[in-house]
Amino acid sequence: MLVFAGARLLPGDVGRAMLGPFADPAAVATLNHQLGTDRPLLVQYVDWIGDFVTGDLGQSYSYRAPVAQFLWPALLNSAKLALVAFCMVVPLGILGGVMGALYRDRAIDRILSVTGMVATVVPEFVSGLVLLLIFAVWLHWFPLSATAPADAGVLTQFYHLILPSIPLVLILFGYIARMTRTGMIEALDADYTRTAILKGLPRATVIRRHVLRNALLPTISVISTQTVYLIGGLVVIEILFRYQGIGSLIYTAANKKDFPILQAGIMSIGVLFTIMTILADLLYAALNPRIRFGGDG
Amino acid sequence: MPINQKLLDLLRKGRSAHENHLIDGLIDGRVSRREFLRHGSVLGLSATTLAAVTGAAGFELLSARRAFAAPGGTIRVGQIVPAAVIEPVSVADSGGITVLSQVAETLVLSGSDLTAQPLLAESWFPNEDGSVWTFKLRPNVKFHSGKVMNADDVVATFERLADPENASNALSALKGVLSKGGTRKVDDLTVEFHLDAPNGGFPYTVSTDNYNAVILPADYDGDFEKDMNGTGPFKLVSYTPKVGAVFERNPDYWGDAPLPDRIELHFYDDYQPQILALQAGDLDVMQQVPVLQGIALLHDPNVTIISTPSSAHQQVHMRTDSAPFADKRVRQAVALCLDRPGLVQGLMQGKAVIGNDSPFMPAFPATDHSIPQREKDLAKAKELLDAAGGGFEVTLTTEKYLEIPQYAQLIQAAVREIGIDMKLNIMDQGAYYGEAVPGNSPWLDSVMGITDYGHRGVPNVFLQAPLLSTGTWNSAHFNNSEYDTLVASYIAALDLEAQKETASKIQTLLLDETPIIDAYFYDYLTPTKAGVTGVEPTAMGHLFLQRASL
Repeated sequence: MLVFAGARLLPGDVGRAMLGPFADPAAVATLNHQLGTDRPLLVQYVDWIGDFVTGDLGQSYSYRAPVAQFLWPALLNSAKLALVAFCMVVPLGILGGVMGALYRDRAIDRILSVTGMVATVVPEFVSGLVLLLIFAVWLHWFPLSATAPADAGVLTQFYHLILPSIPLVLILFGYIARMTRTGMIEALDADYTRTAILKGLPRATVIRRHVLRNALLPTISVISTQTVYLIGGLVVIEILFRYQGIGSLIYTAANKKDFPILQAGIMSIGVLFTIMTILADLLYAALNPRIRFGGDG
Repeated sequence: MPINQKLLDLLRKGRSAHENHLIDGLIDGRVSRREFLRHGSVLGLSATTLAAVTGAAGFELLSARRAFAAPGGTIRVGQIVPAAVIEPVSVADSGGITVLSQVAETLVLSGSDLTAQPLLAESWFPNEDGSVWTFKLRPNVKFHSGKVMNADDVVATFERLADPENASNALSALKGVLSKGGTRKVDDLTVEFHLDAPNGGFPYTVSTDNYNAVILPADYDGDFEKDMNGTGPFKLVSYTPKVGAVFERNPDYWGDAPLPDRIELHFYDDYQPQILALQAGDLDVMQQVPVLQGIALLHDPNVTIISTPSSAHQQVHMRTDSAPFADKRVRQAVALCLDRPGLVQGLMQGKAVIGNDSPFMPAFPATDHSIPQREKDLAKAKELLDAAGGGFEVTLTTEKYLEIPQYAQLIQAAVREIGIDMKLNIMDQGAYYGEAVPGNSPWLDSVMGITDYGHRGVPNVFLQAPLLSTGTWNSAHFNNSEYDTLVASYIAALDLEAQKETASKIQTLLLDETPIIDAYFYDYLTPTKAGVTGVEPTAMGHLFLQRASL
């Protein structure tokens, strides 16, 4: 209901947004009537929610075609891009954080945290543009567009997604590395780590079994929330790399007051957010026996 | 070349009074060769007649040279993604028009030189007062479905567009010009348009200027995207909303065989990625780039820019019915602050022509060039402003679109010099237009604003809705009965000299009253890869590629 109301609160009416400011008022009125957007909001809401719970997402106003035809491919595309970026940034970020913590305050730690910070504050349209100019326009190593040809295999699709993933990696690397580093330092300083070392366990075993396991807990919640950003918040990257993802789908739908697409898009992001949060909680529990067994230990 | 009187007499035979008057004008020197060609084309004189008359009247003929262009190949075009379903009756954006122009055609082409050229109509002529126009259709034109186009299809097309029940985007262009029931079949290849009022520029209403007016089969059912069944030079292979479209050569095209084998349209949400793709060689043509976004391309040796003159402009309005602009001296003072040559060179990179605060851009045939150009004159501006009560604070409200925010800043800096303290309120485009009705639209309600007006082949639209006392887009709230009368007679005039005379009066009146400032008219820029030839854009968004060659 919030999604519905939020969408409709946008100023202006649908017919006017579609036909433009110079269209005749009669044409606008006719179009609103055809689309049903001249009916009372409550009627429209009951109509929409009724269809929504039965899985019918409705028809796009501007494209006069089923919303599902746009929503599912866009979600799939976004998931692919997020997966590639995720697979690059998570290992890199964790590795960076671990290195930073192990070599605390030494040169490598400084370099990692400074580059991480710098990369995080460079907006993705700047890094994206620079990457495109260097690697696509001048060197021709990568394609300009993230969209692979229609019949492309998995590898070609992956190849098209490498360049657009890099700006995302740059933005998230510093964040994940910093969280991991803080967690690691805390865990390294903890009593149980000292105990394990004093027990005579090899250093690698201590880090793997005692330190990492505890240090990664906060990192996991960060990653899970960032995944939703990776899927839904990439309007700029999608536009720059000409990619049909859920971010630009929602953005253009909001601009054109294409409510059926807008509502379905936002709902799907909401569902995704819930799923990711649950997944993160499950993973958290798996790594942390204290929570798994009722939290009394 | 001497005048060939015998040939002229021969050519004059059977011509109407208006046409002969125009020929007289050419011989007397009252009408230039250029004006003769433009206006003659509107009256329906064929290109061969026009060429013969100019030749007989002693003018050099333009040689019809056409460089040799190789057929074949695929032309890859980048364009902004169409804003909505591709549907000729409702299409309202240049992205949709580009797609439409591959497959469907209008009766008349409004050429880049502002002449009306035959497309699906072979010829046309008005009755004595210009209230009925008769169009002869081209024979043997086939739709992609194989059906031959005839008068029934043309009548059905215009009845569909003029029907208020159809949410037709052409309604605003047809209002007061052509109503439902006004289009009548005479025979299979002849159609008569019975207009609401005499109209000397009617051929432009059925031309590419009115992009919704592509001829569709009489039994068109509303689902255009399925097969895009038109008469155009290319046929649809595939269309994927938001992604792109592929077309192939139409082997049954009525004109010269289209050169390219295939056309690929690639949709983009923004200009920047298209510029990169053009520079990387992934695209051959970029349908359009605004000058500010395209600066990188203007100096790129691997890119050719097709610069199409247009009447598109950013109109500055000042509310004539309320303070501080109720006094025309204040409005004149503001207009006198602008350095127009500086705007054209600096803001528009030279891709524009200077305007004189009326919609009559220099290239319109009726424009009177003897009206003095308004130039920057701060002393006079200060004098006028002081006489009207001195400086004040005001807010300029406008939209975030193209170079308008930068233009607004330049105006702000310019008027500061005479003591006007201007605040800027730059809004999102949708918010600026609002509901597009007075009381609910910053566009129509603001004391001062800047509004984008797209290209038109004739100034009629610019003269009416934004400036008539009854005009629906009259953001200046201009209410001048003398102006209203002049515009009515300008629109009805069939005769170029009558048009010129009225235009001169309108230009003088607007320059004096200054309800609006039209400081420049900007070119429509279409970048292509160097070496690509034969690409023919219009400033409306059409992209004709049948003569394109790599």
